[in-house]
Amino acid sequence: MNEKTNTLAVLTEREVAEEMAGEFEIAGIRDTACAKPVQKKKRYEGKPIVSMLLLGLIIAGCLNCSLIMTKDPLYLDLQNYNVPPNREFLFGTDTMGRDIFSMIWYGGRISLFIGIVSTVISTVIAVIFGAFSGSAPVWADRFLMRLTELLLSVPGLLAVIFMQAVLGEANVFSISLVIGLTGWMSIAKVVRTEVRKLRSSEYVIAARCMGGNFFYILRRHLAPNFVSSIMFMVAMNVRSAIVAESTLSFMGIGLPVELISWGSMLSLAENALPTNSWWMILIPGAFLIVTLLCITDLGNYLRKNVNRRESNL
Amino acid sequence: MGRRILYFILSIFFLSAVTFYMARLAPGDPLVSYYGDRAKKMGPKERKWAEEKLGLDDPITVQYIRWLERAFQGDFGISYKYKTDAVEVIKGRAGNTLILGGIGFVLIFVLSLLLGVLCAWYEDRLPDRVICKIGTVTSCIPEFWLSLVLILIFSVNLRLLPSSGAYTVGGEGGIGDRIRHLILPMVVVVAGHLWYYAYMVRNRLLEEVRADYVLLARAKGLHKRSIMFRHCLWNIMPSYLSIMAVSVSHILGGTYIVETVFSYPGLGTLAYESARYQDYNLLMVLCLMSGILVILCNMAAQVINEMIDPRMGTAPATLKSRKGGRLANKR
Repeated sequence: MNEKTNTLAVLTEREVAEEMAGEFEIAGIRDTACAKPVQKKKRYEGKPIVSMLLLGLIIAGCLNCSLIMTKDPLYLDLQNYNVPPNREFLFGTDTMGRDIFSMIWYGGRISLFIGIVSTVISTVIAVIFGAFSGSAPVWADRFLMRLTELLLSVPGLLAVIFMQAVLGEANVFSISLVIGLTGWMSIAKVVRTEVRKLRSSEYVIAARCMGGNFFYILRRHLAPNFVSSIMFMVAMNVRSAIVAESTLSFMGIGLPVELISWGSMLSLAENALPTNSWWMILIPGAFLIVTLLCITDLGNYLRKNVNRRESNL
Repeated sequence: MGRRILYFILSIFFLSAVTFYMARLAPGDPLVSYYGDRAKKMGPKERKWAEEKLGLDDPITVQYIRWLERAFQGDFGISYKYKTDAVEVIKGRAGNTLILGGIGFVLIFVLSLLLGVLCAWYEDRLPDRVICKIGTVTSCIPEFWLSLVLILIFSVNLRLLPSSGAYTVGGEGGIGDRIRHLILPMVVVVAGHLWYYAYMVRNRLLEEVRADYVLLARAKGLHKRSIMFRHCLWNIMPSYLSIMAVSVSHILGGTYIVETVFSYPGLGTLAYESARYQDYNLLMVLCLMSGILVILCNMAAQVINEMIDPRMGTAPATLKSRKGGRLANKR
């Protein structure tokens, strides 16, 4: 785009110069107009290549875990429990004799699954709630936002822990549901602000006049406008959901030890502490943190780049 | 003001009702927390007697009204597990949490300001980049994992610091002992929250530094340092203070997890136990306490905001202008 206008401007200048050459004496075209070479942006520039690759690798590994696993992750090898990393057990075995290398890939599926499902739940709630509040009359909007703020000030992880502790037995879906139910508030606030800005714009009014219902307008007109501003928060939600799952499982109110996830692997860590079995703590944790870092990096990339002016200081 | 108090009372009432119903409707046997394993062996007759004794056989609404009546008289019932007054149980533990959370809060408050200013000062230069990278990494580390690693390094391998508790059992050895027990949990509490607030300070400052008045001040010949500390920092204070007011509950919430990992005898471990073992009375008091704290903090944030910047008031436009007028007269 930029390039085109530049050449166009140059051309017209040249033409004008040629036309006028007969009448006036012209020393030449000033260089400045065409001096700036248009830098071609490389395709990968500014994109988080490393984290995209790493995340892709982890996800692909988890999805195709049966190809990678060297042992059966569920098999309790009671002869080889608490073995440090070696040739046979690449990342060692845990206190129950399970192979950690295989467990990481196998359990990653559940961790990532919970992260994604609960984010979907919370995003759907947030979008509907925010859009409703944004297009509701002022008093309802004020009430709903008060409620959101109140819920927002309850520490999320704490709410999850209590809900899960009260609910008792956990499975993958109940955990995703609980995490999803507690994580929608901040997105809802952003959606509401955006919808509030958009709701009196002509195209929304026109759509409403033509009989488009709430969900139609939300899908066709509102959503495309606020998607970019919530993308970052959605990515952060995936992150906090994975953290919440692992914390819950670690505290023993999440997934049971038999259901392997990164969190439930770490829940054995307390048995590992006295025997100084670092591999049981550090390796699953490293996978967890690398995943979280990659997601954060991607999220930061998705965040709209605000045009920064020069500092005045 | 009256409106605020009404709002406060209504919220507390609502919170107590929700907690009460949720806790009772959830699956689980409260008798287990009172009688321990004995509850499982009880015959139906014994069971009925026990439920009657604890008042668990009535419909939930009746139970709730009874609880409410007693609560108004300051009687919150007994803890099923500890078999003493619930408030007494909490009193014994609250101090520990306050020490951990309070000192943690002060540290986070001061350090995040310092870090934020440091980053904004060296914007996009090496110190800023390094701090930002480290900050992003620390914000990704789950608190429980950081605690585990710290225990692994400092208590299991180096044997420098104790891994659990608030003081050495037996010899309640003075203040040095307590500090030694506090170091690791404190590090986790601070590290878990610090970057979030420091990053906020940094971003606000970077926005502030681009305002026109900074240019004016520079043109006037004011020193960079005095612009940063006297003007920019002062201008971001309202939003910072209000966020810090809300953060009180978040930081305390953070201590809950840290407490369970370090088995630090505070409210966190207590709350966790009470939720897990259906110790209703205790759970109710704890929930109410956290709720009151959260709401009070929110209110404090609002009041601080309105004090510093009267435009932030939620009152309708006409009222606001009158308020502004009154303020102007006072001046």
